[in-house]
Amino acid sequence: MVQSLAAPLAATYFDGLSARARPVMLRIDGTHLRINGEDTDRAVPLSEVQWPERTRHGLRLAHLRGGGSLQCADAQAWDAWRASHGLRDTLVVRMQQSWPWVAGSLAALVLLVLALQQWGLPVLSRAVVAATPASIDTALGEATLQAIDAQLMQPSQLPAGEQARLRAAFTRAVAALPARQVPTWQLVFRKSRIGPNAFALPGGTMVMTDELVQLVDADEQVITAVLAHELGHVQQRHGLRMLVQVAVLGAVSGAVLGDFSSMLASVPVFLGQAGYSREAEREADAAAVQVLRAAALSPRLMVTLFDKLAAARHKKEREPASARAQDHWLGIAFASHPPDAARVQFFQAAANQR
Amino acid sequence: MNERVSSQRMPIVSNSHASAQRPHHLRIVFTGSGSEYFRIWIVNLLLMLLTLGLYYPWAKVRRLRYFHGNTLVGGEPLDFHGDPKKMLKGFLMVALLLMAYSVAGKFSATAGFLAFLIVMAIWPALFKSSMQFRLANTSWRGLRFGFKGSLPDVYRAMLPIFIPGMIIVGALIPVVDPERPPSWYLATTLGATLLGGLLAPWLLWNLKRYQHNHYGLASLQTSFRASLGAFYKLHLKISGVAVLVMLGSAIAVGIGVYFFAGNLAAAPGRKGAPTAMIGVVLGALIGMLAMLVVIKPYATSRLQNLLWSRTGNASVRFLSHLRFRPLLWLTVKNWLLVLLTFGLYWPFAAVATARMRLQAVTVKTRIDPDSLIGQIRDDEGDAAGDAAGDMFGLDIGL
Repeated sequence: MVQSLAAPLAATYFDGLSARARPVMLRIDGTHLRINGEDTDRAVPLSEVQWPERTRHGLRLAHLRGGGSLQCADAQAWDAWRASHGLRDTLVVRMQQSWPWVAGSLAALVLLVLALQQWGLPVLSRAVVAATPASIDTALGEATLQAIDAQLMQPSQLPAGEQARLRAAFTRAVAALPARQVPTWQLVFRKSRIGPNAFALPGGTMVMTDELVQLVDADEQVITAVLAHELGHVQQRHGLRMLVQVAVLGAVSGAVLGDFSSMLASVPVFLGQAGYSREAEREADAAAVQVLRAAALSPRLMVTLFDKLAAARHKKEREPASARAQDHWLGIAFASHPPDAARVQFFQAAANQR
Repeated sequence: MNERVSSQRMPIVSNSHASAQRPHHLRIVFTGSGSEYFRIWIVNLLLMLLTLGLYYPWAKVRRLRYFHGNTLVGGEPLDFHGDPKKMLKGFLMVALLLMAYSVAGKFSATAGFLAFLIVMAIWPALFKSSMQFRLANTSWRGLRFGFKGSLPDVYRAMLPIFIPGMIIVGALIPVVDPERPPSWYLATTLGATLLGGLLAPWLLWNLKRYQHNHYGLASLQTSFRASLGAFYKLHLKISGVAVLVMLGSAIAVGIGVYFFAGNLAAAPGRKGAPTAMIGVVLGALIGMLAMLVVIKPYATSRLQNLLWSRTGNASVRFLSHLRFRPLLWLTVKNWLLVLLTFGLYWPFAAVATARMRLQAVTVKTRIDPDSLIGQIRDDEGDAAGDAAGDMFGLDIGL
């Protein structure tokens, strides 16, 4: 009954073979779409019609499987005609065409991205890292060390005996830990162009610069504290985790902004990476406290390091000691490490707890 | 809105029965709206995130159908027919390839070079099937477009692009001690970079000639008549504008820092060094922005006009009159609003840019469009190529 009541719809038919536009009338009877015109008479099963999606702008274009297409410039008439046959829009179309749905989607999107950044990605990257064989870390570490050596480092000028003494001190400290908590590690010394520094590479290689050793007057306890922090990075496989996090972050950011500008898309990646890096530093600091306590050393040793670093920096820049440029909130958002003051406080608190 | 569409349908029939000698001017009109594309985009993004990216091909089909369907050529819309399921397979394949490629370089120079060679070996083929897939799935008045470029030709057109990169990556292998690269390596790198710069217009011309010589609809096939000299001339002009813009922004930043630093120095206090740092960073940022906001629209408008006004054959021609100044203001506005809205303005910007670029083009033809008869359907190409086109940023450039 309903079908016979519904009026036919005027549309244009293209047979897919010639570009000639043929005016036709469309009718739906039961299971078929009937296309009738001057020299056209076609019946297409409804399941073989790929219906256009409702939009506010533009016309309606339907594809027919097996060739041919229908076109209707009067979009409103098309939508009304389709609705009169009980053909409903898909959920996606209804979402796209309703501002409340779009607002909801936007809110969900923002929440999802924040949740992903805050919890999802760290959990995901931990899982990926856990499933990755350690040989990957080792290979990555070797390649990175090669690259760093080529650009920033020269062979260490510390006497071999001095190197051995520092290495032995750290070995003793680590020996106090339960064996399963200690990852494999190697310690190498380098003279650097980047000043006093120490860092851990994937696979367990820890690099200590001559300049850092000199800065702390080769004090083996302070060096042990620094290495304990680096061992935390190795233990948590932070290097590999960073790679995974940045890759996923880059993919999401690229999907949202990449079409517009890849430079702009790199900003959230950069900020996100800095955030993860600060988190990793905090984890490594916590691990350092564990190592130091097990070895009956005071976490205050790390405070010594920060004091000496700050003194060296101020000597170089001739700034009053009160001016810490990095502690500005904007600086913190971009920095790869938490502000020194917060870290000093952390180690002092850890030292007082005993 | 309906009136708008139907009034735009008028010009095409204006002289459909006139003699074959009189040209038809098919205007291109874009009827898409920013707010509507915004809604499509947001829902697409949400679904992509929820499906961990697997929804991407469906999102792309929705986007293309919206943009094609709102591009009226002589009053009749374009249409897109791609099958998202096929595209998903291609997308996954190319994603894997790209991941392997980006990881390989992290392990060793040799692995990086091998990956580079592999990508180089298949990229041209992917490019060809990307063009084929896109055009075979685009239709106008029920007829599918086609891309008739051959496989040997695409290698001839694209392999030279890799030469400078191959020299740089390949020369690293025999370097025994990367700590002290021998002087010949540095010279080679410098030479290869210079060579790339000198060859760039020729490389682009080569590639565009391959593309624009092989677009087809029904029995028509385009040919490309822009000369190599025109490409070098354009390259020089763009470089000239780039130098001017860079000089201008450098002077502006210099003046700004001078006054800013002067004020701070006058005030009792500290922070001489940080101010200089801020100046340098600010200068670099402004330079990059100037590059994107001024030089890119200049290059875009001039290149589009050169490419399309020189594309056609005896019976079909394209005329492109994309003007620099309106495109510049549009780009400035788009950047400002995208930054202010944290990216949410992007769909509006995309629609406005598409409108300006498309509506600058007119198709002039001596053939009555009604008389076009489709050919036997060309090979559709591989959907993997389409995905590769996305990831490497290839497109038809309109």
